[in-house]
Amino acid sequence: MENLNLSIRQGEFVSLLGPSGCGKTTTLRMLAGLEFPTSGEILIGGRVVNDLPPGERDIAMVFQSYALYPHMTVERNIAYPLKKRGASKSEIVEKVSRVAEMLQLTPLLARKPRELSGGQQQRVALGRALVRDPKVFLLDEPLSNLDAKLRGYMRAELIELHAKLGRTMVYVTHDQLEAMTMSDRIAIMYGGVLQQFAPPQEVYREPANRFVAGFIGTPSMNLVDGTLRQDGGRWIFQADGLEIFADMLDDSAVSGPACLGLRPEEITLGSGPLAGVVQLVEQTGHENIVVVRIGQSLRLTGRASGNQVWRMGETIPLSVNAEAAHYFADGPTGRRLNAPRRATSFRNLQSVL
Amino acid sequence: MMRRTVFNICAWIVILIVAFPLFWMVVTSLKPQSELFSRPPTFLPATLTLEHYAKLLWETNFLSYFRNSIILSVMTTVVVVGVATLGAFSLVRFKFRGRETLAFLVLFTYLLPSVVLILPLYLMLVRLGLSNTIFSLVIAYTTFALPYALWLLRSFMAGIPEDIESAALVDGASRMEAFRDVILPQLLPGIISTALFTFILSWNEYLYALVLVNSDDTRPLTTGVMNMLISSFNIEWSLLMAASVMMSVPLIIAFAFLQSYLTRGFGAGGVKG
Repeated sequence: MENLNLSIRQGEFVSLLGPSGCGKTTTLRMLAGLEFPTSGEILIGGRVVNDLPPGERDIAMVFQSYALYPHMTVERNIAYPLKKRGASKSEIVEKVSRVAEMLQLTPLLARKPRELSGGQQQRVALGRALVRDPKVFLLDEPLSNLDAKLRGYMRAELIELHAKLGRTMVYVTHDQLEAMTMSDRIAIMYGGVLQQFAPPQEVYREPANRFVAGFIGTPSMNLVDGTLRQDGGRWIFQADGLEIFADMLDDSAVSGPACLGLRPEEITLGSGPLAGVVQLVEQTGHENIVVVRIGQSLRLTGRASGNQVWRMGETIPLSVNAEAAHYFADGPTGRRLNAPRRATSFRNLQSVL
Repeated sequence: MMRRTVFNICAWIVILIVAFPLFWMVVTSLKPQSELFSRPPTFLPATLTLEHYAKLLWETNFLSYFRNSIILSVMTTVVVVGVATLGAFSLVRFKFRGRETLAFLVLFTYLLPSVVLILPLYLMLVRLGLSNTIFSLVIAYTTFALPYALWLLRSFMAGIPEDIESAALVDGASRMEAFRDVILPQLLPGIISTALFTFILSWNEYLYALVLVNSDDTRPLTTGVMNMLISSFNIEWSLLMAASVMMSVPLIIAFAFLQSYLTRGFGAGGVKG
């Protein structure tokens, strides 16, 4: 991890999102006290916890593998954290049955983890975390081992649980849908570096750099490499077969290689001044994802209604919403060059085929 | 079908060849002295007798050797399993420089023949004042049983997900509590098979016992029985066979009850070791 500076508010649901190996799980394990930072401080509730063992940080963690104790029954699994804290027998019985009821685990209390389905195991892992009522919940890709349907169901359950408990939750995932739907804020990481920390809508609408732009959104943002130059006091972005005015750039923009970003929904297929050849049509039912080629090699992905049928090889008209264009500096994590959205008012876009 | 039948017949032939010496050992131990060298030999004795067992138990030092062997094997097993369990835990879970090198160095003792190690070990034990004691054999046996046990347990330990230990730490357990509450129960099959291997190694060991102890008070069964029943002029076959049967009994009982753990141990060693 490199110079990570992250401040999470009390009661917030924060997702750490990024591809495999980006450092999100390491960050979570450092919060838990299972890994140690080489420098810097970790504070929980204003208290520096660097030297505290995991058990004294008042946190609970749900692991990707659930990490249930295989030789213990569901009841003993859930009771274990209470037992380690010296809770009385009556307190343990009372709390375990309350959590079991909340998570509908009561009929399963006498079973061993291997006798449970994936969803049930997941609920036991949650139960073990909930039973202590900790300050912070750390969740390490808890839904990744579930099938798609159950994942959707558990996602809703977790959102509800967070609303009910009001506890701080830090959630690690590589699934942007989970992060977007559940979080108050998302920390997007790449190569051990925090790329952006913002609410889901901001991450989507104003990605801080090229990596975030390409990582968030399905299908992902069209990223077109080209060059920026100034002509008569106006910025122009030029790529293969495309030349547009880029009036929304901030003061830090310089001439040279740059990247244009366009969300698929900002490309209107079937009408407009541009023309493209249909390369690929992916039918998802309610909509079609269409890849079109403009010029020699520029490929753009757009969305169209499910009723709209185009054949591959067909030439169709299209237009782009220039106001929603993003610009990034050169490089895999090239920073955003757009001026803040509210401050921009541009409407000049000219495309030349 | 035909191929299967041929395979089965071949398998049974091999089993019979392997099992015949054991069968002959039991039969000989039950034959009266007069029938031992009869020609042609009798496969099933005409009369069964337990006289050799009685003689062995009441008229010789057999029980003393047996007790020594039990003490020796149990002590070695406890020491080896105890050290190997903690050692394997540290080799798998703790990150420190030279961890892998250390694991391989542990196996280094296997590259040297026992005869090379036995003299320095003997001299060391003499200087420590431990020569001719059961404890000296415990130390000696530990030197060759520990590396194997360590590697066996290391592969078992590596198969236990680290997450469950982390979960226990987060749940409020100390490192030792996590080890006791979560790791040990998972490691139990590995511990049992390692204990069995160590027990068998100690029970059957001959060379170290021959060199390091030389009094009847401390001799284990292997050297004790040899010393008692085999001399330059005579071999007491009937007693030797009865002793062999009785020496095999503890191992056969252990095998019968813990066979599945032992085969799991072979598997673990095969894959990771």
